[in-house]
Amino acid sequence: MKYDVVIIGGGPAGLSAACAFERKKCLLIEREGRLGGILKQCVHDGFGVIRYGEKLTGPEYAERLIDQVLTKQNVEIALKTFVVSIEKEGDLFRLTLTSASGMRTVETDRLIMANGCRERTPRQVGIHGTRPAGLMTAGVAQNFVNLMGLLPTKRCVILGSGDIGLIMARRLTLEGAEVVGVYEAKQAPSGLARNISQCLNDFGIPLYLGKTVTRVFGDERVTGCEIASVDEGMQPVAGTEERIACDAVIVSVGLIPENELSETLGVPMDGATKGATVDQNMQTEVKGVYSVGNCLHVHDLVDYVSETAETAARAIERERSGGKRIAIGRKGFLYFVPQAIDTGDYDGTLTAYFRSAKETLRATLKVIVNGEERMRRRYHNLKPPEAEKLTIELSLAPDDRVEFELEEERDE
Amino acid sequence: MKTVEKIRKKILKAGIDGVTVTRHNGGICLSGEVGDYETVLEAGRLAVDKKHSRGVINDLRVKGEVENGMKVPCASDQSLDGRTPDVLVIGGGIVGCAILRALSRYEIEAMLIEKEYDVAVQQSSRNDGMIHAGIDLKPNSNKVKYNMRGNAMYDRLSAELDVPIDRCGQYVLFTAGWQRLIYPLIVARGRKNDIPLAYLGKKKMAEAIGSPGYGYGGFLCQGAGIVSPYLMTVALAENAVTNGCEVYLETAALSVENDGKRVTAVNTNRGRIYPKILINAAGVWADKIAETAGDRHFTLHPRKGEEIVLDKKARGFGKGVVGRFELKGSSGKNHTKGGGVIPTIDHNVLLGPSAYEVRDREDLSTTRAGIDAVFQKQKSSVTDLKQSDFITYFAGIRAATYEEEFVVERSPVIANLIQAAGIQSPGITAAPAIAEDVAKWVGEIFAEQNRPLAEKQNFNPYRKGIPSVQAMSKEERAELIRQNPDYGEIVCRCEEISKGEILDALRRPLASPTIDGVKRRVRAGMGRCQGGFCSPVVTALIAAECGIAPEQVTKKGGSSRLTLGRTEEEQ
Amino acid sequence: MSDLICIVCPNGCRLRATYEGGELKVEGNKCPKGTEFARKELTAPTRSVTGTVATVFAGYPVLTVKTKGEIPKEKVKELAALLKRTKVKRVMRVGESVIENALGTGVDVVATTDMSKLISDGKG
Repeated sequence: MKYDVVIIGGGPAGLSAACAFERKKCLLIEREGRLGGILKQCVHDGFGVIRYGEKLTGPEYAERLIDQVLTKQNVEIALKTFVVSIEKEGDLFRLTLTSASGMRTVETDRLIMANGCRERTPRQVGIHGTRPAGLMTAGVAQNFVNLMGLLPTKRCVILGSGDIGLIMARRLTLEGAEVVGVYEAKQAPSGLARNISQCLNDFGIPLYLGKTVTRVFGDERVTGCEIASVDEGMQPVAGTEERIACDAVIVSVGLIPENELSETLGVPMDGATKGATVDQNMQTEVKGVYSVGNCLHVHDLVDYVSETAETAARAIERERSGGKRIAIGRKGFLYFVPQAIDTGDYDGTLTAYFRSAKETLRATLKVIVNGEERMRRRYHNLKPPEAEKLTIELSLAPDDRVEFELEEERDE
Repeated sequence: MKTVEKIRKKILKAGIDGVTVTRHNGGICLSGEVGDYETVLEAGRLAVDKKHSRGVINDLRVKGEVENGMKVPCASDQSLDGRTPDVLVIGGGIVGCAILRALSRYEIEAMLIEKEYDVAVQQSSRNDGMIHAGIDLKPNSNKVKYNMRGNAMYDRLSAELDVPIDRCGQYVLFTAGWQRLIYPLIVARGRKNDIPLAYLGKKKMAEAIGSPGYGYGGFLCQGAGIVSPYLMTVALAENAVTNGCEVYLETAALSVENDGKRVTAVNTNRGRIYPKILINAAGVWADKIAETAGDRHFTLHPRKGEEIVLDKKARGFGKGVVGRFELKGSSGKNHTKGGGVIPTIDHNVLLGPSAYEVRDREDLSTTRAGIDAVFQKQKSSVTDLKQSDFITYFAGIRAATYEEEFVVERSPVIANLIQAAGIQSPGITAAPAIAEDVAKWVGEIFAEQNRPLAEKQNFNPYRKGIPSVQAMSKEERAELIRQNPDYGEIVCRCEEISKGEILDALRRPLASPTIDGVKRRVRAGMGRCQGGFCSPVVTALIAAECGIAPEQVTKKGGSSRLTLGRTEEEQ
Repeated sequence: MSDLICIVCPNGCRLRATYEGGELKVEGNKCPKGTEFARKELTAPTRSVTGTVATVFAGYPVLTVKTKGEIPKEKVKELAALLKRTKVKRVMRVGESVIENALGTGVDVVATTDMSKLISDGKG
């Protein structure tokens, strides 16, 4: 069976991509039994403010996309279907799929990777000690509570002040569990200020900065954990250890884009985003392979996840042949997406997403073409955990050299 | 008396006071109180005299310290009370399970008890899974004897039990130029044990291991291989059960009773068992079992090893095991195993293990310092190892005797006792050979009672493993899914494990319906997300299959429930 | 003078609210919603609540819900406790009321997931 487009992943990115196709015949592949991806378990609100102008919950955001995709005649949905492998033959991709109805091969020359991300594990952040039940990631805890109706803890420590950690602190508190505290190894919280306020402060849950969990205790179920202060190199400081009694340690310490499938196709990755290097249409360096959503880079807002997916879908539907690819020079950023511009399918408007390399009160972003500054834009309060979106008019010729530079402004 | 006197002097000369040295049961017994544990160990090592003593019984205590006891399962009933099996095996590690399987071909009632929630929970799942070539073992030792015999048995075992092995070979790197000069000695030693070696120069070695190494070349031991040690243990136990043996999990031997000549009973948390023959394969607790069974002549001192598991993506450095050449004393103070960079049969990479003495026999915790040290050490041989490839790490406890030797014997004191104790590396390799001898002695004991062992008519040496969809050809896989659609549905995305495989794990002859039990059998949750995505699904599958509420599902038995209740409040 | 963080949208503006001659003055907000938020937060703070309620359907143990609007902040915990005692007995679609006029606040608790996509044999 041949499709114009195969979309791998039925979360917000894959759904948004599928919804954006008007003519192309698409296959949307989802490994779970329900569409929606991780949004299904994000019962809290705050989704869709930009896209829909409303504060939706995760499931509602997903439902809107699902309702839309179900009306589309050109989109076929394969649930509980897993991509075993992808072979590339010239411009053609041959996917081997498995599901309860058997093994199946589909072909396409346009692939949209919408694989999302996975959580960093407790071991990956150096939590030592025993391996009892109760040491889990925030996503697992969230799945247990919000999808299975199970309470994973009665008294826990949360490591990591990212939004998921903060939201789980509130969620577990509302379910009657005691959250002893949220611990963050960095000197500044990673989550949105709004979530510190409404998830922690509203419930009197303390936030400890510069501290991390170094080990857990307990043979069968967690009985406690050890907390230590960390130095500038993020290493625990001897002598600062304290032991806290708890039945769970819930870890929310970052997300890793899932690109194992893309890697098998030889898609080059950006070491900073841990996602593919793409052009403004989200096409990777392997022709015909697009990367969207959280497998491209971990977004703060689902609205932008949808946006990257739609960008890819629209580009595919335009069917313009690509031209010369200009690599974008990037300086002063933690990361900057896209990493290149395809001049063959570029309409003069560039949308980019970036994170600052460091926290700055005031900064200037400069766009430099062929060594000359074309434009600049000023920013206030940039922080690495908070991504910025930038849209500019920038006309380019195929041989231009393009650089983006973020410079901290100092007080005179 | 001469030996006792000699050892007493040796210990005094080392500056250790307060040690009483006596003869006990053919061994040397140390007692008294000393200042620290290091001294306990040192005195123990000094008391080794393999020629004149059966072993060191080290009863030295550290002033003011109490040794941690065995962790006992919370289950308590009388379900085994009054049972009178022909043979009772204590311990469901690879040695105990290999013994049970060896016995399962005979017309006897054989039973194994294991205190954990599954077999292969302790050291048998906490090692590097190497089938050793044996080059680093002392000639004429029990270790080398069983290693060589066991190694030779593995291909057949693998075929019968459907547990894959890979004879990937072991590359031993020289760490200094002068080591090349003693290569002929190594070859000679190899020849003694029938181990073929191949010399590799600097360039060839670098090619083979995919890393510059130390730049001095080294040699290849072709006989070395890898196996999943826990899957092999599970397979041995399953095959034994299929052939009529019984395995009881969460059943601990609390003490043994003997009348000075024979073992009369074994007290467990499930009642008192009266075996005709007792086999002690109790791992780190084997010396305690030996004591109450009436033939104590060795003491185990727990030695921890920590290992790192790397992502499958890290396996870019070549195929075989990479180790370093190290000269080491047989029972010297510096019994530090070199460890290595070891591929696993499932295509991950292990780094380690380390080796250091600890107090607690069941302290399976990892430490930051330990894991850092393992990484730094192995990075010196394979330079492009990356910390970002760490998936997880684990620790195990070796059951070391002071002789650093296996105790595999029919007891000369207690007529119906057989011991397989002090088993550490190369225990995985040695286990099938040890089992063969143990079964032979069981036969002897029966013959003495005029009850010769009869082979079962219907003994089935074959076990069919759980199918692995990920390893199949597309056609095979499609056919399997046609037969059972559950094999088409992937639950563990990292390791590509289907719902069918997970249900199989729960329906095997010996199941452990726990998250870790499933993981040990089919690898669900062993990948790079470490169960982040699949553990809730596996929880639901276990609950449905076992007919229990999801909040009752445990990670590893006992009180290790994953969740503590429902969010819904009963009204 | 009060320092607040606006929770209306992900921007999370840091607000400084001061009364000048009885008039509330708000600084730091990027949009007018910030002023409104500060006014409410200082007089009668409200919150929306999200969570789950149990269902009677096997294989669909919980339904995700939210308050359709905000309720007084001091009632948040009481509402959470009410959700824990609530069990849905029919198939719900997004926006359908699970609890009407919850705790007398005048605000309904509504479903945020469409159960009908998974359960077709519902009695609803």
